[in-house]
Amino acid sequence: MTGELLVFFALLMGGTAAALYAVYGGPAAVAVVVGGICWALFSWFLSTRVVAAVTGATPVTKEEQPDLYRIVENMSIAAGLPATPEVRIVDDPAPNAFAAGRGPKQAFVCVTSGLLQTMDHRELEGVISHEIAHVQHRDVRLMTLVAVLVGVVAMISDFALRMIFWGGMGNRRGGNQNNPILLAIAFLGLLLAPIAAIGIQLAVSRRREYQADAGGAEISGDPEGLALALRKLEQDPREIRHMNRSTAHLYIEGPLRKATDARGLLSGLFDTHPPLEDRIARLEQMGGFKLPQ
Amino acid sequence: MLTVVIVVVVLLLLGLLFALFFNRLVRLRNETEAGWANIDVQLKRRNDLIPNLVEAVKGYAAHERTVFEEVTQARAAVAGAGGPAATAAASDALSGALGRLFAVAEAYPQLRASENFQELQSELTDTEDKIAAARRYYNSVVQTYNTAIQSFPAVLYAGLLGFRPRQFFSADEPEKAVPQVSVS
Repeated sequence: MTGELLVFFALLMGGTAAALYAVYGGPAAVAVVVGGICWALFSWFLSTRVVAAVTGATPVTKEEQPDLYRIVENMSIAAGLPATPEVRIVDDPAPNAFAAGRGPKQAFVCVTSGLLQTMDHRELEGVISHEIAHVQHRDVRLMTLVAVLVGVVAMISDFALRMIFWGGMGNRRGGNQNNPILLAIAFLGLLLAPIAAIGIQLAVSRRREYQADAGGAEISGDPEGLALALRKLEQDPREIRHMNRSTAHLYIEGPLRKATDARGLLSGLFDTHPPLEDRIARLEQMGGFKLPQ
Repeated sequence: MLTVVIVVVVLLLLGLLFALFFNRLVRLRNETEAGWANIDVQLKRRNDLIPNLVEAVKGYAAHERTVFEEVTQARAAVAGAGGPAATAAASDALSGALGRLFAVAEAYPQLRASENFQELQSELTDTEDKIAAARRYYNSVVQTYNTAIQSFPAVLYAGLLGFRPRQFFSADEPEKAVPQVSVS
């Protein structure tokens, strides 16, 4: 999975660089690509610190939240994690949850206070099992990696387009001066590359959500509990505060779903999460049960 | 000359492939052992809680001797059992005995109101849940491991290298539903 993604993004970046080369010549292309790689490394090493700060999660102890804490412990045991992740709470009335941290050893699981009020024990177990499955699958690291790569592709193409506008079309040494068709293709490629990158990012995110649902159901041994929790999330109209695109893929329910209510044909392409209906349907199939409508 | 090179390259590739397969088996076997250790920790924890629980109940219901004996014997059976299947059977029997102990305790309101008893009860429920969780993990890694050593090509050499199939932590059939102790 990670390998394929790296190859894909290498191709995308190579393509952007080739387009840049066609328009502007060798040295510029090399400079932009090197700059992009440096930026990727920089944001990769900085990324892990950002999440906790952005979401405003505070750690809780076992004494404060014995029930929640025990569920996290139990789900970690059932998933065979090397350690129980830290438990954190965000004070927010909207029910939601997410997992973060680079690997299974430094992970933390975070729920909103709204989730604790909304869910009963069984449903909470379902939600936590989904998050623990994310930790087990190392999704947080994967999605951070993908986000960084998307950023780099966007940066390179943005930079190249600016150079074309400011520097004039291919009138420098080494550039291809006489081929308008090639220039047009390069231009189009530079425009489309970031969109393709984001499309891939979101497709990966949606796929990982299905896998975390299936993994979670296996961990808790109770697909119906998770399905019930998803149904409750579906029916709850509240939306979490302090939300932005960069952390959206971490949550159990796409936190931006309700903001974009108008669902066009293409809107599904740009969701971080599959529709809750589909996720519930897959769990029903897996567990051989049917939730009442 | 060329033939020699080809033979060497093929042998190297085969060696590499074998190393990969071998390492996977080792990893899976280690996972089953870690899974078993998890179960063991929780079983010990439960066994450690039981004497206190029996004492607490005795304080209010000293004459319910049969159920105390049953719990004590089942506890000793869990500690003495060898192998996952036997341990699972003993563990299930202990869960059943504890369920009956709690059913007996229901009849004594003072006992139920005692803080010590409530705490022990919640600890024990938690441990039962953790045993169930550890059991799910162990059985799922054993399933993967057993499938791996019984599939081609591992089936040819797994036995020779000392990879034996492991027992499920289950009294009879694999993945039997975990008996739920109702303690509330």
